[in-house]
Amino acid sequence: MRPVAHTFEAWLFVLGSASLAAWSMLAFQHGGFSPPALCAAGTWPVTPTAASVGLALDLITPAHLASSSALMVVAMMLPLTVKPLRHVRDRSFASRRARAMLLFIAGYMAVSMAAGAALQTLALAARSGEAATLPCLGLAVVIAVVWQISPAKQWCLNRCHRRPQLAAFGAAADCDALAYGLRNGASCAGACWALMWLSLLVERGHLPAMLAVTLFLMAERLENPAPLAWRWRGPGKALRITMGRCACIWSMTASLRGDNGAVGASGHQAILHLAARSQFASQPQPHHQQDDGDQQPCNRRASASALFGIGHYSGSSPRNS
Amino acid sequence: MGFTRKNVFELGGDWADPILWYARGVKAMKSRALNQPTGWRFYGAIHGIDQDLWQQLGYLDPNEPMPGDADVAAYWNQCQHGSWYFLPWHRGYLIAFEAIIRDAVTKLGGPADWALPYWNYFKPNQSKLPPAFASPDWPDGRGDNPLYVKQRYGPSNDGDVYVPVSQINLNALADPDFTGDAGGGSPGFGGVDTGFSHGGEVHGGIETQPHDNVHGLVGGGDPDNPNMPGLMSDPDTAGLDPIFWLHHANIDRLWEVWRENPTTDLDPSQSNWISGPAAVGDRAFKLPMPGGVSWTYTPGDLSDLSKLNYNYDDVSPPSGTPQLTARMRRLRPNLTAAADIRSTAMAKKVELLGANAGSLRLSGAEARTSVKLDTSVQRKVSASLTAAAPSVPDRIFLNLENVRGANDATTFSVYINVPDDGDPAKYPDHLAGSIGLFGVRKASLADDKHAGDGLTFVLEITHVVDSLHLAGTLNAKEIQVRLVPQKPVPEQAKISIGRISIFRQGN
Repeated sequence: MRPVAHTFEAWLFVLGSASLAAWSMLAFQHGGFSPPALCAAGTWPVTPTAASVGLALDLITPAHLASSSALMVVAMMLPLTVKPLRHVRDRSFASRRARAMLLFIAGYMAVSMAAGAALQTLALAARSGEAATLPCLGLAVVIAVVWQISPAKQWCLNRCHRRPQLAAFGAAADCDALAYGLRNGASCAGACWALMWLSLLVERGHLPAMLAVTLFLMAERLENPAPLAWRWRGPGKALRITMGRCACIWSMTASLRGDNGAVGASGHQAILHLAARSQFASQPQPHHQQDDGDQQPCNRRASASALFGIGHYSGSSPRNS
Repeated sequence: MGFTRKNVFELGGDWADPILWYARGVKAMKSRALNQPTGWRFYGAIHGIDQDLWQQLGYLDPNEPMPGDADVAAYWNQCQHGSWYFLPWHRGYLIAFEAIIRDAVTKLGGPADWALPYWNYFKPNQSKLPPAFASPDWPDGRGDNPLYVKQRYGPSNDGDVYVPVSQINLNALADPDFTGDAGGGSPGFGGVDTGFSHGGEVHGGIETQPHDNVHGLVGGGDPDNPNMPGLMSDPDTAGLDPIFWLHHANIDRLWEVWRENPTTDLDPSQSNWISGPAAVGDRAFKLPMPGGVSWTYTPGDLSDLSKLNYNYDDVSPPSGTPQLTARMRRLRPNLTAAADIRSTAMAKKVELLGANAGSLRLSGAEARTSVKLDTSVQRKVSASLTAAAPSVPDRIFLNLENVRGANDATTFSVYINVPDDGDPAKYPDHLAGSIGLFGVRKASLADDKHAGDGLTFVLEITHVVDSLHLAGTLNAKEIQVRLVPQKPVPEQAKISIGRISIFRQGN
C-alpha cells in the first residue's frame, strides 16, 4: 500500500493561531466583551424591548461592540471557514490565493460581525440583572432548541456546505471571493445565531459556554447536507469518531498496560467494527422470525466459511416488515 | 471453492449456462417483495432509490409494504460515488449480490461455483449489449426474460443498446495513484479521499471513465419524455437493470488490472480507507446475504481479491506502450531511462493554469467556450516540458466544475482547439475525453444530501497540451473548448457547467 505524505499548510496554521489568540484575549478579558459582566448590577426587563435595546446601545460604544464582535467571531466562527477557504484557495491562481482568501474572510467577517453585534446587543437588552437571569435563559434555551430542530436550521447548514464556481481573473475574481464570503457568513450566522446567543446569556461559566458552543458548531458541521425536516441535529458523527479513536488508542496501548488478552492480533480492526456497530445501537433490530424470500429461518449464525471469513457477520438483521 | 468471473461473450453462446443460470437467479430475486432484503428491488434500493422516480417507472406501488425504518436506514441509498470508496463498496455489493444469485441457482440445481460474468465492452465486437439481455424472450421463446429491460434506450435513445468505443477509454489505468486530489489535479485511479459518500462531487479516474459513460450510454433516456432516464442512467435506478452487475464486474476487473503493476499501483494505506467510513463516524458498509444474515465489510477486507477466493479469467493490461513511457519518448526522445519513469512518485503540487469566464449552458448539438491562460503558470508548464532532467513533466487536467442538470443520461465529448469551422469527429487527437453525468440530478438539488453544487469532472489533457507544446503553440493566450453531446441535449435537461478550468500538477 502506498505510504501517506502529509504537507504543512501555512494558512491553516495562521487560521488556528488567530482563533487561539482570540480565545486567549477572551479568557483574559483584554478588550473582550461579556454581556453578563456588563449588566450584572442593572435592572432590565425579562425580554428585550425597544427601550432596553436603546439603553444597551447607550452603554456600549460602536467601537467596543465592533471589537468584541470581532473577537467573538474570530474565536468561535473562524474555525468553521476551513473548508470554504480551502475551496477558495484550490480554485484560485497561486498568485491570487492570499488575496482571494482574505477577501472571503472580509466578507465572512463583515456579515458575522454584524450578526455578532446584533446578538450581543440583544443579549444585553434581554438581561434583567441577576434576579431575572433564569427566565431569560430558559427562553433562550427554548428558542435555541426549536431553531436547532427546525428545517430552517437545515436550510442554513446546507448553504454552509456550498462550494460555488469562482471567477479566476481580475475584478470578477475579487467580487466572487468577497460574495462567497458574504453568503457563507450569512448562512453560518443563520445556522449558529441561536446557540451563540444562548452562550452570551450565560453568566457563570460564560467562557466555557462559548467554548462548548464552538465545539458543538464545529462538530455539527461535520454532518453532510440533508433534506429539510424537523429533527434533532447534534454532534453524533463527531462523537462516533471520538469513540472510534478512543477504542483505537485503547487497543494500541493494551500491551503497554500488560493486557495482552484484551485485544488480539486483529484487535484494531475488531474494535473499529465495534465502533461502527455502535451507531446502529439506537436503531432497534428485533430478533424475530424472518422470511428472506427463500423461506430460510432468521437469527442463525452464518457459516464464516460460506462468506469467506471476511468482514463482520450478523444474524440479527436484516428484518422484514 | 474458488469463483472465476468470465467474459460474457466468451462463455460459448448467447445463452450459455452461466447466463441461463443468472437469468433464473434474477427471476427468483424478482419474485420477492420489496421488503424482502434478498429481493431484486431491495437490492436495487441499496444502490439508490428515488421513490417518485420508481413509481413513474413502474417499479414501486405506493400501497405495497415497505421495509422497516431500521432496514431502510441501514441498507438503502448506500452506493459510494465521487469517493475513494467507489471501488471497494461496489466490490462488496457485487459479492453479496452474487451470493444471493448463487444461493438461488444452487437451490434450482445449478452449479455451486456459479459466478457473475463481466461485460468487457472494450474488446473488438463486444461493445454490443450481450444478446441475452436484448431479447424479451427466453431462449425457448417464452416472453418473460428477466434480463430484458424496457427502459434501456442506448446511446441514441432508440433502443439500440451498445457502447460506442470512441466514447470510452482506459486512461485511468495509467494513473499510478489510487487516491486523487479534489482541488483540480488528478482525481486518482480510485477517487478522492472522502467519508461515506452517497454521491460525492469529484469523480475518480476509473469512475469517470469508463464507468459513468457506460451507465449513460447504455441507459439513455426515454425519447418521449426528455428527463425520464433509462434505468442504467441514474444511480437511483441503475441497480434495477440486470446488465448493471456485468458492467460493475468489468469495473471491478479493471481494478485488478490496475493492481497488476505491484511496484507502483497500490491501494491506499490510510486507516480511513482500510477501515472504511464507519471508522470516521459514518455509516458502515452493510449488505443482506442469503440465510437471513447481514455482512458488514471494510475496504481493507476486500482489497485483495485472491483472499476472497475470486479471480478473473483475464486481467491483462491494455496493449501498447504504457502512456507515461510513450509520453517521455515523445517529449524527450534522447532520454534512455524513460521505461522506469512510472515508478517515480508523481508530483503533487496542483495549481490553476486558466479558466473560462462565467457558466456555460449545454443544450442542443454543442457548446463552446474559451479558457484564458495565466502566462506565468504557462511558463512553468513550458519549462517542465522542456526540462532536460529525467523528472516527470507536468500533467494537465481540464476541470468541468459545478456541472448541474436534471438529466443523468446526458453524455458528451470534450474537444480542445478544434478549428471554429471544423468537425470535431475529424480531430480525434484533440479529444480530451468523454463524460457521462451519472448522478447529476441529485447533486443539483440544494436541499438534499448534496449542497446543490453539482458534480465536478476531471479529464487529463496532458496529451493535447504536449501536442501544443511540440507544435510551438502552447504560448497561446486561450484554449478553445468545445462540448459535443452524444445526442442533442434538450432544454429541459438544464445542463450547465459552472466553470471550465485547467490545472497543472507538477513540482
